[in-house]
Amino acid sequence: MAGYNLSFRRAPSMSLLQKLLQVNWAIVLLICALAGVGAGMLYSAANANMDPWAERHLIRFAVLLVLLIGIALTDIRIWFRFAYPAYFITLILLVGVEFKGTVGMGAQRWIDLGVIQLQPSEVMKVTLVLALARYFHSLSLEDVRRPLYLLFPLFLVLAPAGLVLKQPDLGTAAMLVLAGGALFLLAGVRLWKFLLVAAGAGAALPVAWNFLHQYQKNRVLTFLDPSSDPLGAGYHITQSKIALGSGGVFGRGFLEGTQSHLNFLPEKQTDFIFTMLAEEFGMVGALGLIGLYLLVFIYGFAVALTSSNHFGRLLALGLTVNLFFYVFINIAMVMGLLPVVGIPLPLVSYGGTAMLTAMTSFGLILCVRVHRDISIPRRGLQGEVV
Amino acid sequence: MIRKRNEPANYRPLSPCGLDVGQPKTWVVELEGARKAALETGRTRLIVSALVFALAFVMIGLRLVDLTLLQSDASAQIAKIAPANTEWRSGRADIVDRNGTVLATTLPTNAVYANPRQIRNPDEVAGRLASVLKGVDEERLKGGLASDRSFTWVGRCLSPRETDAVNGLGIPGVYLQHDECRYYPHDDLFSHVVGYSDIDGQGIAGMEKTFEEKLRGGKAPLELSLDMRLQHIMAEELEAAMTEYSGIGASGLIMDVDTGEILSMVSLPTFDPDRPAAASDEARFNRATLGVYEVGSVFKIFSAAAALDAGAVSLEDGYDISKPIRISRFTINDFKPKDGWMSIPEIFLHSSNIGTVHMAMEAGTKAIQDYFGKFGLLKRGAVELPENGSPLVPAKWREINTMTISYGHGLAVTPVQVVRALSAMVNGGELLAPTLVKRRPGERPVGEQVISEQTSAQMRWLMRLVVAEGTGRNAEAPGYMVGGKTGTADKLKASGGYDRNNRIASFAGAFPMDDPQYAIFAMVDEPKPTEKSYGYATAGWVVAPAIKKIVQRMGPVVGLEPRALPSEVGPDPLFVPVHLKGRSVASQ
Repeated sequence: MAGYNLSFRRAPSMSLLQKLLQVNWAIVLLICALAGVGAGMLYSAANANMDPWAERHLIRFAVLLVLLIGIALTDIRIWFRFAYPAYFITLILLVGVEFKGTVGMGAQRWIDLGVIQLQPSEVMKVTLVLALARYFHSLSLEDVRRPLYLLFPLFLVLAPAGLVLKQPDLGTAAMLVLAGGALFLLAGVRLWKFLLVAAGAGAALPVAWNFLHQYQKNRVLTFLDPSSDPLGAGYHITQSKIALGSGGVFGRGFLEGTQSHLNFLPEKQTDFIFTMLAEEFGMVGALGLIGLYLLVFIYGFAVALTSSNHFGRLLALGLTVNLFFYVFINIAMVMGLLPVVGIPLPLVSYGGTAMLTAMTSFGLILCVRVHRDISIPRRGLQGEVV
Repeated sequence: MIRKRNEPANYRPLSPCGLDVGQPKTWVVELEGARKAALETGRTRLIVSALVFALAFVMIGLRLVDLTLLQSDASAQIAKIAPANTEWRSGRADIVDRNGTVLATTLPTNAVYANPRQIRNPDEVAGRLASVLKGVDEERLKGGLASDRSFTWVGRCLSPRETDAVNGLGIPGVYLQHDECRYYPHDDLFSHVVGYSDIDGQGIAGMEKTFEEKLRGGKAPLELSLDMRLQHIMAEELEAAMTEYSGIGASGLIMDVDTGEILSMVSLPTFDPDRPAAASDEARFNRATLGVYEVGSVFKIFSAAAALDAGAVSLEDGYDISKPIRISRFTINDFKPKDGWMSIPEIFLHSSNIGTVHMAMEAGTKAIQDYFGKFGLLKRGAVELPENGSPLVPAKWREINTMTISYGHGLAVTPVQVVRALSAMVNGGELLAPTLVKRRPGERPVGEQVISEQTSAQMRWLMRLVVAEGTGRNAEAPGYMVGGKTGTADKLKASGGYDRNNRIASFAGAFPMDDPQYAIFAMVDEPKPTEKSYGYATAGWVVAPAIKKIVQRMGPVVGLEPRALPSEVGPDPLFVPVHLKGRSVASQ
């Protein structure tokens, strides 16, 4: 198991200008377009008012766009170096939420950092991918095949997932596990291990069911049969489907959606914003938004493929998969294909931490792209000053 | 091990994803079996995951098409119906005033009932329920809860707070259910017109009863002709006058003389329509439509109009009013006896009974009876309320009846009848049906021409004279050209004959007299003299000042500005000093 006898290749010293040129501005434009769609829908959600959502959405986006560019231009080795510290700080915050968190909407998810209120579980979605990419980067393929080497990354995934589950936030916990699992898969863990875990989870399901909160059980049950309680737990989904149908092919027109403007649609500014879009712009508009996301994800995969360092590849893949889950789960949920879980639509839904997560993710993906030719030794950057 | 020594400096650690593009071909070739397999695995995995993701997108795309296209029709149908349900809809329509202000509405509330068989300790439960529910009689509740029936009402029309409190008690056997309740947001301001409904939302008085069918089935609110602002002004001023002169009741009406719409209808004392059962019969009684009164000298308007229109007298005629009229065992006197001759305007101005009787007799019993009939004073009123009083008409109309009726005694009518006839006197002679329902914009009812245009002009002049210089001076609201006639009538005693100490003080008027738009009638029942009124309790003291205030307050509301008196800008046909037959009225 001797390591590579590598001489560390110096980073090609790119000037800031060179890096700026390396940033894929088409993708930045796509991201702006997504946020623009979001602002438009939030404007509509507030009945043609910038207040309270659209204006803050745009301000946040503007600030975070600067952060995104900053992240993209930062040397990827810095992210490599800070992967673990970032992860563990987030984990500590997550533990902090347990004891000092603010209760919102019946769950303890927020922590007040004085300046901003933060949802550490959201931040964890990024830092978990960072930490896992860092870890698998340092493993050889043979190491990956050894069960012992998988204990640490399993801890990395399960510790935050357990904490988030306790908040309780089933959706985010599931997303952490899914994103972690995807990284395991892409890192080369043997398939039978996944099957084993899946079988184990299946066996544990009846037990886990008893640990679910009643509202979570209701959600699953109404998902299985939404018409069982159309005015109660199935109400959201029923209304959402009505809205989608009322949109038709070309929609009712901007600001004309009746389901949303008459408050039939719950949480129209966050979780159900896609429904609102589909009602006002119809199938065409909704497919257009899905198309935008698709382009972004294809780019994410492409970035992963072209990265010469393993860390960057896994990072880009993990983050892309993560964002994909956001979009997929949210859209599938509002269309009744999945149970109702509180997952926002990246850059379109209103919400500060969710946007922070999405923008950081895009920033990191762009960063991988900009620094695709930098190689990082498997054993890390001992003493290397970047 | 497949590792290679002395790897090139630009070695890229091989990922299991194995998709390093642009790798030197030689490198791949050098891979041994296991490594190659791993590479293939990684590549496969990436492709498979990408495919799975693509499939997921295809799936949501298809689902989207399914929901928006294939299931669109049904959903669009539901969404189309949905807006109607956005506001809570009850089974009973609202009642609103002419400007859309809600006067009666139905709200969703909760009712609480109990199954006495499940109540273990009726006394304790009754006490706890009574402590959180206002208006629940504890003793009665105890009786209900102690019975062996399986149902008893505890309370209905609960406020959200009360609902919460009952819920919080958590008493087994006590249940909540949804309920609808009728509310009257303006308390007692419209009680007599709007009426009220029973606990099950069925109208049992007022417009609630008249329009029961329409309200029950309707969604569109019932629009009344009333104007809340004028109603408020009228109620406040009448209340003030009634209180100042210690009256036992009062009533007031404002009518649009062109459309017959009643803009204000007040009857005092009033009651809370949310709790009609708690009110006395006296309070529930609508004086404006159900009460019939002998309104005294106000009737001189109609006598004069009849005599003038019949051509029996002209404004230049006059009578000797120095001698009381004796007919059989009666004697007709004036309140303030005057000497000598008086012209018709003077008779009107000073409200001479003797002069009015002469005038009426000149026209004759038949003519007076006909005219009063045409003025709608002899038949039951027809306003849209279940509470419509019939006038007290003499069973046999003799000469003596003509005489007394000419100055307002011996014929008792409702205030609505008075204001209706009054409108015809000033609007050019057209008698309109009074209505409490708002007319559509531009809708102009066709009435019956009861006096000529010319007589109407003369009546306007006479009425303006009364306020400018006669008994109605206290009603003069500068700039509004108020005209009218006071009336103070002794009330009939229960034992028969007239009670000289109990009267009805009333005022019938209109403004502005050069182009009348609003007719006003107001009366106070049994006013008592005060020091301020120098011992008088006559209409000129009791009601006329209230009319002045009402006109001054309603003018700005209805968009009428006070104008400089015409006498200040030039000669005014309505304002010339009366010089008839060589005498000046002012010098009297």
